Amino acid sequence: MSISELPSAPTTSLFERISAETKVEVVRELCNLLGSRYVLDSPYDLMLYEYDASIDRCTPDIVVLPASTEEVAAIVIIASRYDVPVVPRGAGTGLSGGAIPIYGGIMIVFARMNRILDIDYTNLRAVVQPGLVNLHLSNALNPQGFYYVPDPSSQRSCTIGGNVGENAGGPHTLIYGVTTNHVLGVEIVTPEGDIVQIGGWTCDTPGYDLTGLLIGSEGTLCIVTKIIVRIVHLAEAVKTMVAVFDTMDDASNTVSEIIASGVIPAAIEMMDQMILQAVEADTHAGYPMDAAAVLLMETEGLREVVAEQTDKIVSICNKHHARAVRIAANEAERQLFWAGRKNAFGAVGRISPEFYVQDGVVPRTRLPYVLRRIGEICDSYGLRVGNVFHAGDGNLHPLILFDSQIPGEVERVRKAGHDILAVCAEVGGTITGEHGVGIEKQEEMALIFSEVDLRVMQQVREAWNPHQLFNPGKLFPMPGRCADIKQLQGR
Amino acid sequence: MTEIESFATAIRQYSTAIRMTNDPDELRNHAVDGALPRIAIIPETVEQVSRSVALANQLGLTLITRGGGSRINLGGIPERFDILLETTKLKRLLEHEAPDLTCHVEAGITLTALQAKLSKKGQWLALDPPDAQQATIGGILASNASGPKRLRYGTARDMVIGLRVVQASGEIARSGGSVVKNVAGYDLNKLYIGSLGTLGIIVEANFKLQPFPTNERTLILTFSNAGDAMGTVIALLGSLLTPSAIELIDSNAASDMSDFFGLTLPTNGYTLAVNFEGSTSSIDRQVHETQLLARKNNALVSDELVGKAQDNFWNIVREHTQGTITCKAVVLVSKMAIYLKTIKQVCQKHELEAAVVAHAGNGILYIELRPVDATFRLVEAIHELRRYAQEEHGSMVVERCPPDLKRRISVWGEPDRNFFLMQRIKQQFDSKGTFVKGRFVGGL
Repeated sequence: MSISELPSAPTTSLFERISAETKVEVVRELCNLLGSRYVLDSPYDLMLYEYDASIDRCTPDIVVLPASTEEVAAIVIIASRYDVPVVPRGAGTGLSGGAIPIYGGIMIVFARMNRILDIDYTNLRAVVQPGLVNLHLSNALNPQGFYYVPDPSSQRSCTIGGNVGENAGGPHTLIYGVTTNHVLGVEIVTPEGDIVQIGGWTCDTPGYDLTGLLIGSEGTLCIVTKIIVRIVHLAEAVKTMVAVFDTMDDASNTVSEIIASGVIPAAIEMMDQMILQAVEADTHAGYPMDAAAVLLMETEGLREVVAEQTDKIVSICNKHHARAVRIAANEAERQLFWAGRKNAFGAVGRISPEFYVQDGVVPRTRLPYVLRRIGEICDSYGLRVGNVFHAGDGNLHPLILFDSQIPGEVERVRKAGHDILAVCAEVGGTITGEHGVGIEKQEEMALIFSEVDLRVMQQVREAWNPHQLFNPGKLFPMPGRCADIKQLQGR
Repeated sequence: MTEIESFATAIRQYSTAIRMTNDPDELRNHAVDGALPRIAIIPETVEQVSRSVALANQLGLTLITRGGGSRINLGGIPERFDILLETTKLKRLLEHEAPDLTCHVEAGITLTALQAKLSKKGQWLALDPPDAQQATIGGILASNASGPKRLRYGTARDMVIGLRVVQASGEIARSGGSVVKNVAGYDLNKLYIGSLGTLGIIVEANFKLQPFPTNERTLILTFSNAGDAMGTVIALLGSLLTPSAIELIDSNAASDMSDFFGLTLPTNGYTLAVNFEGSTSSIDRQVHETQLLARKNNALVSDELVGKAQDNFWNIVREHTQGTITCKAVVLVSKMAIYLKTIKQVCQKHELEAAVVAHAGNGILYIELRPVDATFRLVEAIHELRRYAQEEHGSMVVERCPPDLKRRISVWGEPDRNFFLMQRIKQQFDSKGTFVKGRFVGGL
């Protein structure tokens, strides 16, 4: 998927690339600290860390794999001494370039800090290290009847540290909220190398809600080294439904009415025709290939609640001319329905060499209008687009298909992406619901925030990370950044 | 001309419509912990708020924001205090997008007034703090007020999707937006919520709303000791059941309620009130299963409340978190029973009496201490109760107390090791100290 080198360096560079001599010294210090096994600096090794799931890439100068908070703090102190930027990385599944080291420097990889430190079933808490894979936490909790709610589609590989950095969501956050609603406290390392506890085991800690502020700060304020999360009981009953529609409008209106009726299901996902065809070819989940849209819905909770919600949802679907509504008969069928959804991105890979995912959010009532506009925008650039998204939240994920071998296509994709976000902003929505700003949407921040809004936000970075030692050059519009994109040759 | 006169003159020149007063009698109604402002101003528009703050900032004056005043005495004794800015005229519901379950509202509206408007479309803002008739949205957010139903719905941080905030410079900045999912930029909403007006003045808010539950019922259970009551709470939390609120009431609180509100609760042991919302069938089942859990934990009596009696009950319980001296302690749920015992011991030792109402499912205890004039004993007891809470990963804030006592204690407790991070934020947001210092944690 990665296709382009980063925009040519900003006109006013925050950091010079580290010199060869300095690098030798920094590597030596880091090796003394961690052992040479856990310090990577050969081009061959570094190449593995130059990308995430977005379309930008850039190679770090050094990759380190610490095993403890103290090691992270010591790395930060070394980096600070040599004025080398530090970028944390989880699994590199991010979709906005949050883990791309645009000025090179030291990349901290949390693969060795991946343990569950504590689970307290009485108080419904778990303490984990940032490198823990999201799904591994739920897998550990499931036997006791518990799980961790946020479930990004990449949950089989993404890490909880990365989820905290991006304030990740997922299909089931419709009713239960996103990462920020499930984290009570974190341990952090500051740019000075201080280790500090934020929030804690209990709620309502006196003082500013720094936990809330840090979640979703995309690695630009601190480095998180420990996370205290809330865990919840697995639901007693789950019903998963698929409703098939002949028009997008019917599907969108169904979503609006379900929400407006007061039924808040655990998830409402929508897939349009293009996605259905790709998914069906890939997963054989039984989705009709000729439908305009399918809604995948799930309700969970007590048996009684699930039964009532299911009835209500089915009747709303029928009212909006659903061609068919299928309820998963058993767990195997339910898993199949979900496999279709969760593998959608991969399935699209079968019909297009590359694709680009956007992440706008709009008021749910504006879905029909915005979906039409997305179609028109992509048409106007001669691009194909498919939509697979969290309809219940109004969180759109248009997938724009392209082929970077076609001259000018990447540029058209970026423009279409920008135009789509402009439409989201115009209807009172936002430019990112769960993927983050990173480098991808820095310019688009200006679509929804004024200069004052952005300056006020930057005060926080100024307060904690004034020299941008951590994840520099992200999140905010960069003055004077050159807009044209250099494509990476031969990839 | 003094700065305050310059301020008044400039405001008059800007608008003759803004209500402003320096009449000592009126100012007395705007005192904070007994301290009077030199002038009080009641702007009618966001722009007027912005202008007032900009002027105060330029003139080096300091300002406290006040909504309905129900929690104005929360926090430490204010340092220099020139202007009181009241937001109660900013009371419009700007938008209620019922099909989207969202609304956009000015911050000076009272919670009761807002709920009345939202209820026309069968929805509500799922916050149930005390004093809803007086408390404004801005005040609730700034003080992070909450109530029993936070167990199900969470707190302000889980419902606010956007804010407009007047900065110390007078500039107006937006954070978040009007959609339910948004990760664009730093989540400053979280920073402003609970910051007690030290970083800015919340003038507008966007919320996620909830549909009214179809039905509601409250199960009242009584126990002879805290261990059994909390055993039931822990069993409930670990079960599949989904109570909306679990409130624990000790015998002193129960007898206060009986005395003053005509409500009859058992006056020895502990009362547990468990609220369920949803369809009749799901409530029936949950009430039944809760009774079984309670019986296993030696519950003595059980009773059910619905309709008016239920509303009345919860109103009384909510208001009971507001004594003359009320401490809010937070501990792990698993430590609640021990902590309740500790409260008894500490009070015995210092010859004090405590009445406790607790959001038992969240580990939050509101401890009313008396007699209110036993200053020295109270100081000791507060120190001890705080120390025990902190030993259990918790905290304790003295939410309500007379200024006299306030001078001898730390309302918030000594700041944590992370305090320097808070200081740096305050420094960035309000370097001139336009928003009065002294009230928030560590004197921020």
